[in-house]
Amino acid sequence: MDVGAFVATFSTRFLGIFIEAVAFLLLGTLISGLLEVFVTNDDVVKLMPRNPIAATIAGSMLGFLFPVCECGVVPVTRRLFQKGLPVSVGITFLLAAPVMNPIVLASTYAAFGFGPILIGRYVISWVMAVSIGLLFSFQNHPQRLINPSALALISGGSAEATTVPMQRMALVPGFKKALKLAGDEFFEMGRYLVVGCFLAALMGTLVTQQQLQALASNPVNSVLVMAGLAFVLSLCSTVDAFVALGFARTFTTGSILTFLTFGPMVDIKTTSMYLGTFRRKTVFYMVVLPFLISVLAGIWMNLNVKF
Amino acid sequence: MRTNTSRADVRTWVQASILLFLGLYLLDSLLTGQINNYVNTDRFGWVPWMGTLILLALGLISFYEILRPPKRAPAQEPDHDHADHDHAGHGHDHTAAPSWLKLILVGLPLLIGLLIPSKPLGASAVAANGVSSNFSSLGGSTAQFAIPPKDRNVLDWVRAFNNTSDVKDFVGQPADLIGFVYRDIRFDGKPQFMVARFTISCCVADAAALGVIVQATDAANWTADSWVHVTGKFDSQTIDGRATPVLLADSIVAAAQPDHPYLYP
Repeated sequence: MDVGAFVATFSTRFLGIFIEAVAFLLLGTLISGLLEVFVTNDDVVKLMPRNPIAATIAGSMLGFLFPVCECGVVPVTRRLFQKGLPVSVGITFLLAAPVMNPIVLASTYAAFGFGPILIGRYVISWVMAVSIGLLFSFQNHPQRLINPSALALISGGSAEATTVPMQRMALVPGFKKALKLAGDEFFEMGRYLVVGCFLAALMGTLVTQQQLQALASNPVNSVLVMAGLAFVLSLCSTVDAFVALGFARTFTTGSILTFLTFGPMVDIKTTSMYLGTFRRKTVFYMVVLPFLISVLAGIWMNLNVKF
Repeated sequence: MRTNTSRADVRTWVQASILLFLGLYLLDSLLTGQINNYVNTDRFGWVPWMGTLILLALGLISFYEILRPPKRAPAQEPDHDHADHDHAGHGHDHTAAPSWLKLILVGLPLLIGLLIPSKPLGASAVAANGVSSNFSSLGGSTAQFAIPPKDRNVLDWVRAFNNTSDVKDFVGQPADLIGFVYRDIRFDGKPQFMVARFTISCCVADAAALGVIVQATDAANWTADSWVHVTGKFDSQTIDGRATPVLLADSIVAAAQPDHPYLYP
């Protein structure tokens, strides 16, 4: 491929991924801004159950309240951390919300109907998000998980603002401030999105899918390939079901489930955004644990379940 | 009231401009139909609209914040309620404008969008991605058999081939197809090319190429990536040991790139 063709293909891929993803990131930053001005820290503390297990389960369902995909969930989670949400609950929300929300439920149903893929996707995602969140709740110093600058930056540059009890704002100034905050946060998170889209477009332009097809029917390799593909393609969780549908005939059912459970939690662009919120060590576990669980679940289903 | 803000002011202007112009760029893409090069607008046209509206709102509020007359110093303001106090307090956000690195990174898509001419994925992207010649990555469906043969597009035909036990059933059926010309080594020395299309479910991230093999005496005259309108009748040939439908062209004429360059499965 010559340089001109490469640039044309790359820029089309890059802009395509960016245009779809940025809309959801903007929605996320807008929800985050509205949360900041209209929801007080007391509300969050009041709404969350005291019991860590109950709180983690509540966190896994929060996506039905804030329907965001994996691009929008990071700014919302950062805001909720700042509002006093326990870190382990936030991580559960972060991992669960891209799947556990009404939009994704609808798109998965539209693509696969009610059957093993839909049920498997929701059961596995839920178990993954809750168990990983609970694992993080054992960390005695939850603040060590978070990148300290992530908490300071979103409160307008001063760390102390996180401790100031906020009052609910009046409607019109509240909306204006929410928009201003969203505009600032868009640049904070948007840079990671751009880097992620850039890498995803580069991989999409260079990696040939024909090589992958050869591994489609092996119960183990197909799962690893689909996990890798989910990471590389960085699809939005609201639409990945339609893409998975394209693979469903050639690839094993377990590998499709791995694609649909691992991809929404971890891909190039979300990893890039996680790095802006969490410490590197935390991000390492947030990538490796979902990978191990979803791959094992996929392989186990291929070997033990008849579809 | 503010000190040392001139540099931050520049960045605040740049920030507001990126928001507004990214919104205007998307709006322009939506209005001119260029967006069809990137997104499945049949199913997900609302997504770029949502992004556009939020960007325009963010851009306009940023310019409003920059251009409105400077506020009185908070100390002179008598008897504020708490909500307004917060609002005045956030005036210091202006000095916390994004760093140049963030501005450049977030501005990058705008630059790429403005500087590189917008083109749909074409033959060279197929070469990188591999054309699905075995067609098997498509979902099973028989709806395409209800479409009269002459009205079927590339996707309908490939689906039909994929859902039949014997491709000889298609011999003699007429076809009328628009697509771009694609060749690879399989067609070396043969009077053949593929009339190909990309399909996308969501956006170009999931693009997959499909094609129908066309045979014509003047096949070599058509350059790769050019859009053509092919009519003819199907025949069956054995290619790589498999019975494969080949469209024997009655006529091939140059065609304009369709408004929707991708097909939506």
